[in-house]
This record gives sequence, C-alpha cells and structure tokens, in this order.
Amino acid sequence: MSGDFDAIVIGAGHNGLVAAARLAKEGKRVVVLEAAPEVGGLLGGADPVAAMPFGIHPKIASGLGLSRHGLRYGAPMKTLSFGGGERVEIDGSVARGVSPEMAANFAELHRKLARYSGALAKMLAKAPPRFRDGGLGDMLSMAQLGLSIRGLGKTDMRDMLRIILSNVWDLCEDEIGDGPLAAALAMDATLGGAMGPRSPGTVLTLLYRFASTGSGGAGQRSTPIGGAAAVVSTLTKAAEASGAAIRTSSPVARILVDDSDRAVGVALENGTELRAPLILSNATPRRTLFDLLGPQHLNAEDVARLRHMATNGMVARIDLDLAELPDGLSEADLGHRIVVAQDMRRIERAFNAAKYGELPEAPAVELTGRKTDTGWRLAALAQFAPCNLKGGWSKPKKDKLAKATIKAMEAAIPGVGGKITGWEVRSPADLEATYGLTGGHWHHGELRIDQMLMMRPFAGAAQYRMPVAGLYLCGAGAHPGGDISGLPGWNAAGQAIKDGGAQ
Amino acid sequence: MNKALTPRPQMPMGALPAPFHKRIAAENFQHSWMNWNGYASPGVLDTAEFEYFAIRNQATLFDISPMCKFRINGPDAEAVMNRMMTRDVRKQKPGRVSYVIWCDEDGNVVDDGTLFRRSDDEFLLFCQEPQLLWIKDIAWGFDVEVSEVTHDLAGFAFQGPTTAATLRDLKIKEIETMRPFDIRDIKIAGKKVMISRTGFTGDLGYELVMAPKDALAVWDAVYAAGQLRGVRIIGYEALEMARIEAGFLLPRVDFISSQTNLRVNRARNPYEIGLDWLVTFDKPHYNGKRVLQRLAGVAPKRKLFAIEISRDKAAHHALVYHRKTREVGFVTSALWSATTKRNIAYAWLEAPFGQEVKDDLWVEIYLQREIEWQRRMERVMIVERPFFVHPRRTVTPPLNF
Repeated sequence: MSGDFDAIVIGAGHNGLVAAARLAKEGKRVVVLEAAPEVGGLLGGADPVAAMPFGIHPKIASGLGLSRHGLRYGAPMKTLSFGGGERVEIDGSVARGVSPEMAANFAELHRKLARYSGALAKMLAKAPPRFRDGGLGDMLSMAQLGLSIRGLGKTDMRDMLRIILSNVWDLCEDEIGDGPLAAALAMDATLGGAMGPRSPGTVLTLLYRFASTGSGGAGQRSTPIGGAAAVVSTLTKAAEASGAAIRTSSPVARILVDDSDRAVGVALENGTELRAPLILSNATPRRTLFDLLGPQHLNAEDVARLRHMATNGMVARIDLDLAELPDGLSEADLGHRIVVAQDMRRIERAFNAAKYGELPEAPAVELTGRKTDTGWRLAALAQFAPCNLKGGWSKPKKDKLAKATIKAMEAAIPGVGGKITGWEVRSPADLEATYGLTGGHWHHGELRIDQMLMMRPFAGAAQYRMPVAGLYLCGAGAHPGGDISGLPGWNAAGQAIKDGGAQ
Repeated sequence: MNKALTPRPQMPMGALPAPFHKRIAAENFQHSWMNWNGYASPGVLDTAEFEYFAIRNQATLFDISPMCKFRINGPDAEAVMNRMMTRDVRKQKPGRVSYVIWCDEDGNVVDDGTLFRRSDDEFLLFCQEPQLLWIKDIAWGFDVEVSEVTHDLAGFAFQGPTTAATLRDLKIKEIETMRPFDIRDIKIAGKKVMISRTGFTGDLGYELVMAPKDALAVWDAVYAAGQLRGVRIIGYEALEMARIEAGFLLPRVDFISSQTNLRVNRARNPYEIGLDWLVTFDKPHYNGKRVLQRLAGVAPKRKLFAIEISRDKAAHHALVYHRKTREVGFVTSALWSATTKRNIAYAWLEAPFGQEVKDDLWVEIYLQREIEWQRRMERVMIVERPFFVHPRRTVTPPLNF
C-alpha cells in the first residue's frame, strides 16, 4: 500500500509523542495530528492539567535518549500532608511529624508496598498477555507475573495476595492508623479514579502508583526540572529529531477504513485525507472507536463493552491566585506534593457525596504551585467532583466547589484563604470538552481490576490492537493506563512495529 | 377457601393462551399442549400422522404467534439489519422475505429467522430466541428504533397444496402474482393481514400475520373457506415431521444458539451447521465477519449432515459409528419420511467423517418391542438437503389442487 506516511498518530499528548518518537526512531515516516493549537495534551499550556507529572519511564527515557534532549530530574519530591494539626512530611519511607511508633510502622509499610509494586512493575512495562487464542509467549508472560509474585517469598506472596484486592482504608488502619499520613497514601490510591479509600481495589491502585516509578524509586515522585513543559518539549524534540512531523490545529474527523477492513488513513475536519498503513490513536477508547472509527466497524459485543467501560471523571482542577503565601507555606514547599486532607475518613466522605452526583462539603486536595508575575498560583486537584454532577456543571457549581476547597484548605493551612485573590475551575466536563477526554477522566477509563492488563480497555481488545487491522490505541485507555509514564505509547508503537503494518 | 389468604401471582402462571387458543382448544382432542415461548401451543390435536398428511395433501393451520417478533424501523434500519445478518440485506427489496442467520463475535450462530422487509426503512424479524437486547446492542449508535412485537402480532402458517385454492375462494387476488418470499398486504374478513408466501414445509404455503384483536375473525374465515379443501388444525409434532423433510433446522434441537449455550464448546458456526450458503463477505463489516473470514478457509472440526439410513426405523438420538466400532457422531432429528419413503435424519459428525470419510458409517438404533430392547446397526449415507421439496412450492400463479 502506498501512503503519505508509514504511521499516523492521532493526538500529541505525551503518549502520542512517545509512540511517534519510537516509530520514527525505527525509521517509519510518522505524522502526529493534534487538534489543539499546541502539543502536550494534559501536560500542555501554562497551567497544565497534569501539573505534577511522574517521570517518563526510565526504559523510554533511555530508549529515546531523552537526556540528550534535555530531560533532567531534580531530587525526588516529598509529600507534605496538611491535616490541621502538625504538618506531616513524607520523604520516601521516612515520615516526620508523626509519633515515632507511627513513623516506624509507616516505614515498614512503605518498604512492603515498594517490594510488592516491584512484582507488578514488570507487567506494566510490556504488552499484556492475551487469553483468547493465547500463544506460548502469552502464557509465559502470565507465568512471569506469577513467578515475580512467587519470587517475593512465601510470606510476602501470601500477604500480597491477601491485600491486593482489599482497600487502602483497611490496610492503613491495620498498619499505621488514620490521620494525615494515611490520608496521603489514600490520596495516591484514589486520585483520578471513582473510588474512595474504602472501595475495594484501592490497594491495587496504590501499588500501581508505586510501580509507576520515575527515577526516584518506588513510591517516590520525581518531576523533571521544568515540570510538564520539559516533558513535552523533550518528547517533541526526540520525535522531531527522528524525523516525525507534528501538525497542530489538525483535528481528525474520522479514521478511514478500506473495503478489505483495514484502517488506511484519516480524514481531517478540514477535509484533507492522509493515508498510512498504521494508525495509532492517543484519544480515549470511546472517542477513538465510536467517534473516529464508528460503531459500524465494531461487533455488538465490543460496542457493549466499550459503552460499559467506567469513565466517570472525578477530579476538578482549580487554579488559585495568591497575592502572597501564608505563613504555613514556603516557596520551597511548592516544589513538593502537598496534600490537604485531615484523614481517610474525610476523603471517604468527599467520595460519598460524589457517588450520588453531588459536590463534597470538604474536598480532598492535592496541590503544587508556581510563582507568577503578580504573586503565586496554586494548582489544586480537588476530589471528588463527578463529571456527571446532578443538574450539570455551571458557574455557580464551580464557585461552590472552589469555595468548599478554599474552606478545606483554610482549615489545614490557616491564613491561606485570605490570600486568595481569584480562582479558575476546570471541571471534568470542561476537560471532556477541551481535550475530548471521555467523562473528563484523566486515565481515559478507571484503573481497576476489571479494566487492567488484558482487560484494558476491554476484554478482547488488549495488546493495543483495535478490531480493525492497522488501528492501535496508544493512550492511557490502553495498558498500563494512566499517569505520565509514556508506557502505553511506547508499548503500542512496539506492537505496531512488530505487526509490521503493510510494509 | 378464604379469598384474602389466596396468594395472587405477580407473574402469569403456566402457559399463556395464544390469540387462536379458543379455536385450537375446541379441536384439541388429545389435550396435548406444549410450552412454546410462554404460550400454550398444541403438540397434537388428534393424530400426528393425519395432521402430517394434511400438510402434504390438503391445507393446515398452525399457530406461529409465539415466535419472537421484532420491528426495526428508522433511517438506519437497513444498515442495522445488514450489520447483523450474514447475508447482504441491501439486496432485499421492500415486500420481500429472506431466510437469515446471524452470528456473535466468534462467528457462532445466534439464531436463524425470517426477515420481512416492509419498506425501505422498516423490517420485521421472526425468530426462535428472545433477543431484544442483542438487537439493541447491534443497533446502538444508529438512527433506528428496535421494539419487540411478539405480543402485538398474531399469526398462523397456512400450508399445503390446497391453500392457494382456498385463498382464491376468499377472493384474494394478490396470490396470483405472489412469488415465493413475496409479501402483500391484504384483507380477510375485512381485517388487515400481512401475507407472505413462506413456510416451514417445503411445499406450497403462506404465513398470515395480523393484529391479535383480528386474529379469530381471520382464522375463522380461512378455516371456513377451507372446509371442502380438507383444512385441518395441526400441532407441533406434524410440523416437525414436515420440517425435517423440508430440510429446515431447528434451534435447540439441531444446534444451540450461541446466546444460550452454557458449555463453551457447544456454540456452532455456519460452516459447521451447513448454512455457509447464507454467508457473504461482499458487504461491509457485520457481526462476526472477521472470524467467519478466517473460518471460511478451513475444514470445520465437525459438521451437521443430512443422512439417509437403511431400512425403516427412525434413528432418534442414535449414535453414529465408523466401521461399527468407533463413535464419530450423533443424530439430532430423525424421521421415517412417509412422503419420500426414506429413513432420514440430521447428524453431527466429527471431522473427517462425513467430509472426507463417507463410507462405512453406521447408526446404532435401539428399538423397544413390548418391553424388550433390540439393537440394530444400520448403514448411513451422506445426502443433500432438502429431502423433500415439491415443484408446486414455486409455481406462480399457484395451482389449484
């Protein structure tokens, strides 16, 4: 098949850029089509939605030579947890501001989670096995997960299997007790998803986050120097250096399928058609398969699975302008991950409201900040703010959420409320409208056991290959899912190269 | 009994009376009723053999109201039916019926049925298995309305050589120009009736569909008109004999719908069932197409065959052997065909038997004769379906008999 390109990547989010860079590095002629005027997706813009990205997976960073393009990491971030009392600092497995007994228990728990997540991390880095007509390689890959869990030793293995499907509430209550320290872990386990600390499976999501490691080691976040913008610019450079073309303001209207049932190109909204034997979509599974491809190309079973994929976003982004910082918060603090949640109980209460389509009275907050020309800007992630809010999202609802968030912050960091001069709220519905993000869900779909591994995005469509030959999913809707690791894009490109396209 | 203490059933208990129940019950001398899709359906009214010979020599009425019936209408109705069926529905013109099958994502048959195209954007689908949600899943994302009309439409099959003459007596002019699989809208006893030249018997025959409130009036008019043509009401047993002869398969008897099987390896694809003549690839994507394309190139692991058996004893539920020793399959439907004077059956045979290896196949028939059992090994011949089809089935205008 002759084509304009060897591969078309839809969407220049970080996964799209990683996929494009890997394909281009393998000698493919690649074009990336981005609907927005600028690249980066949720990492793009002056105040990116994902303000505090994890590092790109080390395998990808070295594979694409990202350090050559300027990717540098600072020291791993600390987590500062404000609960109204003494502030708690978490630096790896070391917790300060809690009783020595709690600190010791936390250190033990942290080391344990790091060990268990190591067993999981091996699965994240590669394409998931496939159960249906699975070959020997798939069986071996599955066996490897079994072996890596077995490799933990009998006691750890039993303990991991005991807790992995349980909830973070019980785990923390058992091991360290409730409080700001447990709240910080519970935030890691629940942020971005539609689950509270007591929801089953939140230990798994916590381990997932531990396993999505940057250079800082398990459970420690390292953000590149320069933040999200640095991730986007180094990935762009890496892709372009290998010859990939990136076209912004080029929204794709649909994916073209020929009579032999192959994806052969895309039609842009301006009518231009581009052809390539490999199409990789960084859009969400639903947007890719329903809006761009069309249900007429899918079996009814897949349509039903996709319709039932859980994708209700639960996080609102609130940018808060401050004239100056309050006493409890220093400039240095803003380089770290700040959690505002008194305890797990508070987070669970916030989730209870959202479960029924309502706004919480006291949202749980994760934030970071930066200096601006006139003062400070805090980027707050407030949960839980359901995309399917009762009565829909409106300015009064957003203001209500902002005020509730500020009130919760004031209770934890006295004085912060008085310094706030203005705010801007981006609801999950806004994220859906701006980024084509189904349900405004960061991870393109809930990260939970029935939507992971070979079940991601849905059973029968794993391994990045979509039902129409030549079409691949390379975004967070594919294994291993959300967070800023680049692994879905990397793995999808690998699968596309392995399948060979038509070349 | 204290009325206040009598439990009142929230759901109807037992089988529901179908729209023609009063008329059928009046002649059901055997009081033989079966549960067909929740309705009381006659098994046999007096003698299965008499009813069977009425199908072949006279005219017969059989209540098909319990069939599952669905209406699909809207601008995308054709696209939705084409996306569901393995045949090319685009080629089916309004006013025509086609025999169709449809498959799941693994290429296994969900069901078979008759698809009535009422207009450019309206279809009626008659089939065996309840499946409203399945059709709705197929139709999701399309501009179409899918509704179940099982209880909103009454219908009966009017089959046999003297049916055309009876309808002529009723002054139904439309039958003169109706070819097999044609649909017409007519009036009988002043009531609206959808008539199609279709059936389950391999012979001249029609199916009539009407509103339940008009059901008895239409039935009475046809029944009265047929008195001198030997019209009889028949039950399932007689129809079963005719359908085996006519080469039709019955879901739940000859194969199982892939929506209902519990054991994973029980579902069957069109190549195994021998319905691959209904599968085309020269059309856009439809459910299961990708797998069916793969299956088209390989020999099925097992296949359903029409077989003929030596001597006269029907091989109900018999096992099939190769060289009288190795078990290679089993019979699903069997009949001593009185019309063709052949001992016929359908049998599932594991590959390569029936495909490459056709010789030295035997069925083991058990016969009970006044308590004592006899066992017979009878020779099996692989033959073509159907066993019976009469030329008058297709002659247009239809002949008087």
